[in-house]
Amino acid sequence: MAGLTLNHLFKRYDNSGKKKKIKNDFAVKDLNLVCEQGEFVALLGPSGCGKTTTLRMIAGLEEITDGEIYIGDRLVNKVHPKDRNIGLAFEDYAMYPPLNVYGNVAFNMRAKGIDKEEIDRKVREIAPLMQIDDLLDKMPVKLSGGQKQRVNIARAIIREPELLLMDEPLSHLDGKARQAMRTEIKRLINKIKCTTVYVTHDQLEAMSLADKIAIINFGVLQQFGTPTEVYDDPANEFVASFIGEPPMNILETKIVDVDGTFFFTFKDSNLRIAVPKRYYSVVHDGFCCKMGVRPMDVLIGGEDSKGTSEEIATFENLGDERRIGIRVGDVLMMLITEDEKRYKRGDVIKLEVREEKTHLFDIETGDRIREKEI
Amino acid sequence: MARIQLENVKKAFGKVQALDGITIDVKDKEFFVLFGPAGAGKTTILNCIAGIAMPEEGAVKFDGENVNLTDSAHRNVAMVFENYALYPQMTVYDNMASALRSKLYKTDEAEIQKRIQWAAKTMKMENLLERLPSQLSNGQKQRVAMGRALVRTPNVFLMDEPLAHLDAKLRNSMRTELKEMQANLGSTCIYVTHDFMEAMALGDRIAIINKGKIVQIGTGDEIYYMPCNEFTAQLMGEPQINIVNAIISEMDGGLIATINVNGNNIALKLPEDERVYQKIKESNLTNVDIGLRPQNVKYSFEPRDGYFKSSVYSYESIGNKSVIVAECADDQLRMIAPNGLSVGIDSDIYLKFELDRAIIFDANTKEYIVRYDEQTFIDLAASMEEK
Repeated sequence: MAGLTLNHLFKRYDNSGKKKKIKNDFAVKDLNLVCEQGEFVALLGPSGCGKTTTLRMIAGLEEITDGEIYIGDRLVNKVHPKDRNIGLAFEDYAMYPPLNVYGNVAFNMRAKGIDKEEIDRKVREIAPLMQIDDLLDKMPVKLSGGQKQRVNIARAIIREPELLLMDEPLSHLDGKARQAMRTEIKRLINKIKCTTVYVTHDQLEAMSLADKIAIINFGVLQQFGTPTEVYDDPANEFVASFIGEPPMNILETKIVDVDGTFFFTFKDSNLRIAVPKRYYSVVHDGFCCKMGVRPMDVLIGGEDSKGTSEEIATFENLGDERRIGIRVGDVLMMLITEDEKRYKRGDVIKLEVREEKTHLFDIETGDRIREKEI
Repeated sequence: MARIQLENVKKAFGKVQALDGITIDVKDKEFFVLFGPAGAGKTTILNCIAGIAMPEEGAVKFDGENVNLTDSAHRNVAMVFENYALYPQMTVYDNMASALRSKLYKTDEAEIQKRIQWAAKTMKMENLLERLPSQLSNGQKQRVAMGRALVRTPNVFLMDEPLAHLDAKLRNSMRTELKEMQANLGSTCIYVTHDFMEAMALGDRIAIINKGKIVQIGTGDEIYYMPCNEFTAQLMGEPQINIVNAIISEMDGGLIATINVNGNNIALKLPEDERVYQKIKESNLTNVDIGLRPQNVKYSFEPRDGYFKSSVYSYESIGNKSVIVAECADDQLRMIAPNGLSVGIDSDIYLKFELDRAIIFDANTKEYIVRYDEQTFIDLAASMEEK
C-alpha cells in the first residue's frame, strides 16, 4: 500500500488582493510522487524550489491549487490538518516554555483528553527511543539545541501518526550535533517504520537518511530515486551537479573523430578523453555537448600512463583526502585522491579519466543524453 | 607586505578573558590560518591586528615595529569580512576603487584602472565590473569584497570567515579559487575560519585557538597527524577521529591495550614500534586513549581472525562514500565504507583497528603522547615547511 500519493499537484501563490494582476509562476508544478508505506522520502532542492510548499500542502497548512493528495488510501484534499493523522517536526522547536519536557511531549494527548495512565505509558515508551528519559523533568530553556530537537520529534511521533513530516529539523544544529542527530533520526525511523517526508536543502542529509530522494528545482520534480540511483544515474545536469560533494565536473566538450575513435576535446586545453563505445550510436564528429565526470573518477596515472599531461592548478590537502584542480579552459576540473603524495601547484601529472563513468548532457536543456538501447 | 607579530596579547570583555596571552609570529608572505570553535577569540585577534580592538597587555608588531599606538587607518591593513559590506549604490568598479580614491591612499585614475583590471582578472570577474551589488550572487559579492582588498598594497590581508556565508557548494569552489589565487597574491594573509577544510587547504600554517589561548601552531600535516591533544585531533577530519579508552599492560615484552566493547574486554596487541613502546613506558601510563581516524578502522560482516565483534548502530552515505557507525563501549566508532552496501541496523559487524596508524593520548590529561611512525610524519611536516 502506498503511504502517500501526490497526484498532479500544483500550487500557485495568488496575489489577488493587489491591483496589478501579475500571475505568479507555479511554486509547485505538476508534482507526482508515490511514497510506499514505511518509506523515508527526502524532498531535496535549493531554497525556493517549492519543497516546503509541498510539505505544507501535505500537512494541510497550505491550500492546493490543483491536484490530489492521498494519505494511505484516503483523499485528504478537504480534510482538516488536525484530522489528517500526521506528525510534524519543524526546524523551529516551538516548545511551550512553561511546561517541562514531559508536559510538552504529553501536551497533544492531554488536549485530546486521553486518560492519564495511557499518556504516561506512551511517554515512558517513547522517551528512551529518543533518548530523552533523563530530560523529562527539565524545562525547555535548559536544553541544548539537539535535545530540543529530540523532544520536538518525540512530540511528533507520540501520536503514532500515519505520516511523519519533517522540515529541515537539523539545520539549527552545529556540525557535530547534526552528525549525531542524523544518526539518531536514521535509527528512529528504522524502528518505528513510519512513512516519512523530510525536507532539506542539504544533499548530504538526503543521501544519508532517505530511502528515496525527490529532487526538485523551480517547482518541478527533476528525479525520484534511491540515493544510489540519483548519484550514479542522474536524470539531468541539475541533479548531477546538485548531488555529491565536491560536485560532478561538468565541461563543455566537442567530440572529434580520430581514425574511427571518438574523443572528448575541450576548448583551450589539450585534454583528450576517449568516448565510451556505448555512446557511439548517439554522437558524431563535431558533436557538441557537456561531459560530466565525478571527481572520484578522475585519476592520477602512473609513469607509463597514456593519459594527457596536465599541470596542477590547485592542490588542497584536507587531511583525510587531497583534492587537485586542473584548469580545463576556464573550468577547474577537480579530482580526489587518497594518495599520500604532496603535490604542489605547477607539478605535472598524467590525468586519467574512468571513461565508462562519464555522462553526457545536452548543452541547451541539460537533459541527459543516453545511449540508444539496442 | 610585512611580518606580523603578536606578543603575549591579552584582551578582556568584562569578566570574559577573550584573549589570554596570544603569541604568534606570522612570516612575511605567509598564509596564516586562525582556526577554532565559535567564541574562541579568533576574530578578536584579527581586530587587534587591525587596530579595531586595543589589547590590554602585550604588543602587536608590524615588521618588528610596535604599532600599539598606531590607529587603525594608518596601519594599512585590508580586511575582508563575512558580510561583504559593499556600497549598494556603487558599481563593482567603483566599489573596488573606493579605497584608492580616499584621501589616505589617493591614487590617480589610470593607476586605479590598471590595478582593478589586474584584480578583476585574478578574481575572474572582469565581466562584472559594471554591475551593481544587487545584481550579483553571493559568491560574486564575496569576490568583489576580496577584489576590493586586493587592489591595495596593504601590510597584511585580514580575512574573517569570508566564505562562511556561502552555501556548501559555493564555499568549496570559492575555497579552491582562493587557493589558486593565493599563489599569485604573494602577500601576508591572516585568515579566520571554523571550517577545518578551509584551514587545511589554505594555511601554510594553522594556529588552533580555544578559549582565548593558542592550543597548537603547525602545518596542516603536523596538526592532522600529530595533534597536541584530543581537542585538536577532533577538530580535524570529517567524520571525526575515533577515540577509544584502553588499559595498557605488559605481556611477554609486548604491550597490550585492553578495550571494552559492549561489556567484553578485548585485548589488542600494540604493534611494535620502538618510539611508541619507549614513550608509553617512560610516561608510566596505564590508562590511555587511542585515536584512530575512520579510514583506519576495518570491518567485516563475517567473523575473521583478528577482528572483534560489535554491532551496527547506523549506516549513512556521505556522498562519494559512506560511514558505518558501530557501537563500542559507551561510545560509537565511525568508519569509512563504500556506498550501496546493504547493512542492517543492529546487525553484527566485526572490526579491526589498524593500530599501526594510531595516535596515543594520555586518558587523564588528554594530551598527545606519541603516534606510530612518528618520525615519518615529522619528516613529512619538515619537507612541507621547505616548500
